Amino acid sequence: MMRVEYINPFVSAAYSVLQTVLGIEPEKGQLAMRPGVFTTQQCSIVMGVTGKVEGSVIYGMTLATADKIASHMIGQPIRTFDALAASAIAELGNMITGNAASLLSEKGYTCQISPPSIIRGSNVKITTVNTPALVVPILLGDFGFIEINVSLQERK
Amino acid sequence: MGKRILVTDDALFMRVTLKNILTQHGYEVVGEATNGRESVEMYKNLKPDLVTMDITMPGMDGISAVKEIKKIDPNARIVMVTAMGQKNLVVEAIQAGAKDFIVKPFQPERVIESVHKLLGN
Repeated sequence: MMRVEYINPFVSAAYSVLQTVLGIEPEKGQLAMRPGVFTTQQCSIVMGVTGKVEGSVIYGMTLATADKIASHMIGQPIRTFDALAASAIAELGNMITGNAASLLSEKGYTCQISPPSIIRGSNVKITTVNTPALVVPILLGDFGFIEINVSLQERK
Repeated sequence: MGKRILVTDDALFMRVTLKNILTQHGYEVVGEATNGRESVEMYKNLKPDLVTMDITMPGMDGISAVKEIKKIDPNARIVMVTAMGQKNLVVEAIQAGAKDFIVKPFQPERVIESVHKLLGN
């Protein structure tokens, strides 16, 4: 059973991480439920979570947003989405998920995260087997938005 | 001569960021390790004055690497720099011998303050 309380730590973590990294005030969009199969955004950061809660968290964004965020993080405009840009975007997922895992642990759901993967390409179908995803967009002003898909369940 | 620092992180972006911050403040980054095992090997060869250490890395994780480095050199100065700020990990890292614990994302000043404290200006 996917519980709403699992998504709140990710929203809080995304707020504080994006505030620090991008220097903006993010805004929360409308929370929605998504079936176990969904189509990705143009660029997705995929993170695994294991422990008392387990599953995956996927951060989706457009390529334009990924480029803008990576440029800001690196401190200069990126010409191509190279290894450094991919690493910056991956690190963003790592920081949000790591901070969220700390918040989950404070609630008693001790968990670990796995190193991020980046998927670039439209219309990729992702299946989070047996667990629907809760999705919340985080609006980032001129940067665009990031959609957080949380698909976690308590380990039996 | 600047003090010599070994940076450990699996993310290229984070190694570049830490290197920029440290070199801008007069420190010399003598090595960049991408996992715990590499960090231990590079510590043996380079004998740096300080090590920055991520936790979640493929192969050997950062806390195991701290334990290994402390076996080689009980006086090693290691600062954890990680996105995982959970209390149990902080305690485990400090017990393993890490001197400080920085949670990502960090402001550059936080890194410099920690390094200054451990190495002097």
